[in-house]
Amino acid sequence: MGNILLEALNVRVVGSGEKILVLAHGFGTDQSAWQKILPFFVPYYRVILYDLVCAGSVNPDYFDFQRYTTLDAYVDDLFNILDALGVDRCAYVGHSVSAMIGILAAIKRPDLFSKLILIGASPRFLNDRDYHGGFEQGEIEKVFTAMEANYAAWVQGFAPLSVGADVPTAVREFSRTLFNMRPDISLYVARTVFNSDLRGFLGLVKVPCCIIQTSRDVSVPESVANYLKDHLGGRTTVEMLDTEGHLPHLSAPALLAPKLRRALSR
Amino acid sequence: MPTPVSVARQCLTPEAAHALDEAVAVARRRGHAQTTSLHAVSALLSLPSSTLRDACARARNSAYSPRLQFKALELCLSVSLDRGTSTQLADDPPVSNSLMAAIKRSQANQRRQPENYHLYHQIPQQSSISCVKVELQHLILSILDDPVVSRVFSEAGFRSSEIKLAILRPFPQLLRYSRSRGPPLFLCNLAEYGTGSGRRGSVVSFPGFPCFFCDGDENCRRIGEVLDRNKGRNPLLVGVCACDALQSFTDALEKRKEGVLPVGLSGLNIISIENEISSYITENCDNGCLSSRLKEVGQLAEQCLGPGLVVNFGDLKAFVGENSRGDTVSNVVGQLTRLMEVRIGKIWLIGSAACYESYLKFVSRYPSIEKEWDLQLLPITSLRSSMADSYPRSSLMESFVPFGGLFSAPTDLKLPVSGPLQCLPCSHQCNEKCEQEGFAASKEGFTTSSAEQYPSALPSWLQMAALSPNKELEAKTKDDGVVLNAKLTGLQKKWDNTCQHLHNTQPLPEANLFPAVVGSRPAESKKDSADNQGSNNADVSWDETKCVNVNSCMPIGIEKISKSPLSIPYPVVSKPSKDEDLESGGIRSPCSLSNSSVGDDSRTSPASATSVTTDLGLGMCSSSGYNVVKKPQNLRNAEHQQDISSCFSANADLVNGYISNHRAQSSSSSSPENHGQFDPSDVKKLFSALLERVGWQWEAISVISQTIAHCRTRGEKRHGAVQRRDIWLNFIGGDRFGKRKIAVALAELLYGSREKLICVDLSSQDRMVNSKTILDCQELNGYDVKFRGKTSVDYVAGELSRKSLAVVYLENVDKSDVPAQRCLSQAILTGKFSNSYGREVSTNNAIFVTTSTFSEGKPSNYTEEKILRAKGWPMKIKVEHSIGSSIVSQDRMVSTIREGVSSPILMNKRKVIRANELLEQHEISETSKRAHKTSTGNLDLNLPAEDDEVQQTDDGNSENDSASESSRAWLQDFIAQVDETVTFKPVDFDTLAEKILKEIKNSFHKFVPSECLLEIDSRIMEQLLAATYLSDRYAVVEDWISQVLSRAFAEIPKKYSLNSHSIVKLITCEGLSLEEDKNPRVCLPSRIILN
Repeated sequence: MGNILLEALNVRVVGSGEKILVLAHGFGTDQSAWQKILPFFVPYYRVILYDLVCAGSVNPDYFDFQRYTTLDAYVDDLFNILDALGVDRCAYVGHSVSAMIGILAAIKRPDLFSKLILIGASPRFLNDRDYHGGFEQGEIEKVFTAMEANYAAWVQGFAPLSVGADVPTAVREFSRTLFNMRPDISLYVARTVFNSDLRGFLGLVKVPCCIIQTSRDVSVPESVANYLKDHLGGRTTVEMLDTEGHLPHLSAPALLAPKLRRALSR
Repeated sequence: MPTPVSVARQCLTPEAAHALDEAVAVARRRGHAQTTSLHAVSALLSLPSSTLRDACARARNSAYSPRLQFKALELCLSVSLDRGTSTQLADDPPVSNSLMAAIKRSQANQRRQPENYHLYHQIPQQSSISCVKVELQHLILSILDDPVVSRVFSEAGFRSSEIKLAILRPFPQLLRYSRSRGPPLFLCNLAEYGTGSGRRGSVVSFPGFPCFFCDGDENCRRIGEVLDRNKGRNPLLVGVCACDALQSFTDALEKRKEGVLPVGLSGLNIISIENEISSYITENCDNGCLSSRLKEVGQLAEQCLGPGLVVNFGDLKAFVGENSRGDTVSNVVGQLTRLMEVRIGKIWLIGSAACYESYLKFVSRYPSIEKEWDLQLLPITSLRSSMADSYPRSSLMESFVPFGGLFSAPTDLKLPVSGPLQCLPCSHQCNEKCEQEGFAASKEGFTTSSAEQYPSALPSWLQMAALSPNKELEAKTKDDGVVLNAKLTGLQKKWDNTCQHLHNTQPLPEANLFPAVVGSRPAESKKDSADNQGSNNADVSWDETKCVNVNSCMPIGIEKISKSPLSIPYPVVSKPSKDEDLESGGIRSPCSLSNSSVGDDSRTSPASATSVTTDLGLGMCSSSGYNVVKKPQNLRNAEHQQDISSCFSANADLVNGYISNHRAQSSSSSSPENHGQFDPSDVKKLFSALLERVGWQWEAISVISQTIAHCRTRGEKRHGAVQRRDIWLNFIGGDRFGKRKIAVALAELLYGSREKLICVDLSSQDRMVNSKTILDCQELNGYDVKFRGKTSVDYVAGELSRKSLAVVYLENVDKSDVPAQRCLSQAILTGKFSNSYGREVSTNNAIFVTTSTFSEGKPSNYTEEKILRAKGWPMKIKVEHSIGSSIVSQDRMVSTIREGVSSPILMNKRKVIRANELLEQHEISETSKRAHKTSTGNLDLNLPAEDDEVQQTDDGNSENDSASESSRAWLQDFIAQVDETVTFKPVDFDTLAEKILKEIKNSFHKFVPSECLLEIDSRIMEQLLAATYLSDRYAVVEDWISQVLSRAFAEIPKKYSLNSHSIVKLITCEGLSLEEDKNPRVCLPSRIILN
């Protein structure tokens, strides 16, 4: 069973360290997003890379619309991978939706994780009464409509916005991976993500967390990072990254990698 | 002449013969005169277990949806088949020449196989080739060689070559598994580990996963899982949407929806006492209502037939809310606990909490409750539980939906016959309508048709594939007549058009049924493809309307094109026509942005990562000198030595004193202006030119100039045959600015311009900080400008590919990160500098200068850091009349350096005191640090949490230690390989300061009576030192003193009446800014304020 899963989700284990590090990509990317981060960690960690089932690099047939209705299914995938690899403890770096997945995973099996590093994380993207998540329901419906109407055009608009910083290669790379996703899956996952709300149980997380937040992120306002810090149950720190955009691992790897290193080492 | 079927069959193994029979059947159904390769392909694709289909699945372009691509294949195939001439034949249509040729080819191939070699040679005389029975695999391979067939495949975006490869390669386990055993392909089938000790295999064991046929409510499924456990079986849903999830679970149970619960629990009842509880607690109703209800619950649990009863106690808010009274809550809790105890195993509790905090509150009030109620916290993540309900309405799904035939979701296969059509979760309006019409059409022709269960939009062979487990149905579909087929095809086309129309995608070009759509790649990748894939663009035709379309999507991309000087504005629109070679990626899916990946991939793929050699040795301005020189090397070296020594003697005074006027000498030997003809092999010139810039590092400079000259003159380097002219220098020691100046000077002297300096600080964290304090080279800009999205390695590689003649100046190589280290090692070894994509640039002709600081802590009044921090303030002269020492003591801020005849000792004293102060400060910071460290063992709870963090940072860096150790090892290895390691002495600012003071004193006493004191603010001194240190011209301060300061001193006697008690103070005016900010490097005012 495990092998099938490892193959299906393109699980890759690289590096020569003893400690294990999981790099989990976010919405619209695949494991190639870590390409520029990876060399920094390969000498010191066994790095596990995998693709979320929604990624463009995974055979879309694996995406079961009935199953991946909530993030829990993604969490199960993560557990299955780690179990198949015989991992009993690891550090976890999750970006965007994978940050959410990491939070859920750390609640369910706290002893599996020594540390969570959450990049561009948000417990809920939609605004609520006294919570500023960054998106209004109406806005997001418009986004969904746009995605439906013309996915290509949407990608063209969304990618530079999301990358934030003026880094053509990052925009190109993000566009590529984003477009690799089948549009219906992409939309479906986006809905799943926007329907998710982790606020109620952040306190259940006891694993130490480090939240890495860029100075301007269209998807995650800065207040969200502080919200996470205040509500996560474990020892939590916020690291600000002096760059813009939701994808610092694409747009500013040289800035992010040392931060990650430092966050992992403590 | 066509071959009769029976003859052809003789050449085939039974398996292959069966395939041929199928092909013949296809031809007969279509009424074609001959059985061609196309018929064979069609038959091969629709076989129940089709090697070809599997191969296609694996060879397909992952950029497109498999359904789409298979549909395209089906369409292309049917179009090609439709062209066949139809006749009425009584007999089976004979095998066409092309197909027969394919069979013959495979026979020949098979004979050539080594494993068959002996077999066929042992029976050589037997009736020729026909004894070779063609196996199916070989037959398929040969058929794929048929140009007609390969064209059909390529029209659908497949490459026959890849399909062939996929056939030859063994199956990946995954697909074989999915094919042979049907359903359990999906990841959800994998064992559930997530639930810890209570985990069970039950989820795995469900045949057909009934839970997935409910409305896809993942939350309900999870709740069901918890209920099914032995321990922690009473779920408490936590999360903002927990309440909704609980509600929908209750509804589902009440409505007895199928598949919500695991099989073991089917028939579970649910009863909600939420209202009773909340009214009892908050509104202070009497206890009777609740107790009677609970009694009722108990009885229900006793009586119920199913596995038991779930009691929904609702939101925990009621228990911990502000209105709740402690005694009533305790009462409720107690009663529920009793209920649990009594009806053990028969009763479940379920509740919800909107936030974790209320749960905490609850638990803190009833510490044992978690155990007593056997609660299991279940985070509920999603707002709306059943998205599947709302989702399939999306029109987006249209183009993707149910071509699931080949890759049908496993659920299809096990779907009960009565099951709803939404087994394909993403059905959509168009498709529904298409289905309806399809049904109508098929019902006309057939009383029973498989199409009733499967969307008729599936091509016939796809349908068969989907149905393959069901032999009965398959047999029926086999009889599928031409009429229905045509009708269905027509319908399909119609709805395709509708879909496409709705989607604003490109209408189908006439010649090509497959939706070949504008290649709307991002413009950037177009540029790339224009650069790298020139051949691809050969057959590109311009289509204006499409272009507009493309442009409108990508204003940014276009902008990039126009910005980039190298790029060709080349809005590529590929419009594949039928005759073009579609394998070059001509086919686009309707949303063909994914082509960007084509561009990108090819760019970064290993094939195209071949080194971009920028070895432009001829263009090197210095190479002429090198070429001319033909003297034996040792002779030359001797000459160099001579040159150097003569230089030394010429600059003898430099060795002793820094400020010496060697300008005349140096300008005569070499001027930087004629750098174009500068010959680096001329050691003397190089030496003196460098010395002019950085006068104090003469030792280092002599080593540098010798090394460069030596490297330039030696013909070959390190690797015998490969001629390398890159030079690697490593600068160690203090004087960071001096190193920089030398690097700048080298760029200017050797390559003609400061632009030729590629400057990177490899200690990436500090890159930003450093760049701000650097007053020199413009190249050292902030992170944001230069390094966005790039690693330092990428930046260097990029710059290097633009200017191969360059000085690459890499600061802090000792702090470089792993990718940079690897890249440098490779570069020094191979002469190829590769960026993070593996793209290589030749380092030939470049001079690499790496620096690292191992500063020796020699106590000095002026540290490099302090000097570099110095700012250019305006200066002021103030005259005071009093006794010097008292003023000094008042004015504590200004630690003074006094220069005067009367009190030379005072200044020295001051110095000592300052040094002590510094020392003390240092000690204090040390002890405070130590205090931190010692406290780690026994944690001081009084310390704020942040301090705790800091300690952890200090201590917990075992990983960092190992990292720095390995990087130290790397550094040693690296340094061993460089051409020369040059040691820079730390700048002796003290001596420099004395020189300057002497100058000032001389100037002062020229105009002012000798009994007056001159007091110079230490910041002025720093400023002057900085000016000396940072300026290109060494004598800048000297000039300044003789011109500006002297003028000010000359005015003093005129303005003030001086006596022996007068103190002339030279101080800075902080807050005022220097007007001449244009040249911040030389921060000396052109005028001194007198008041």
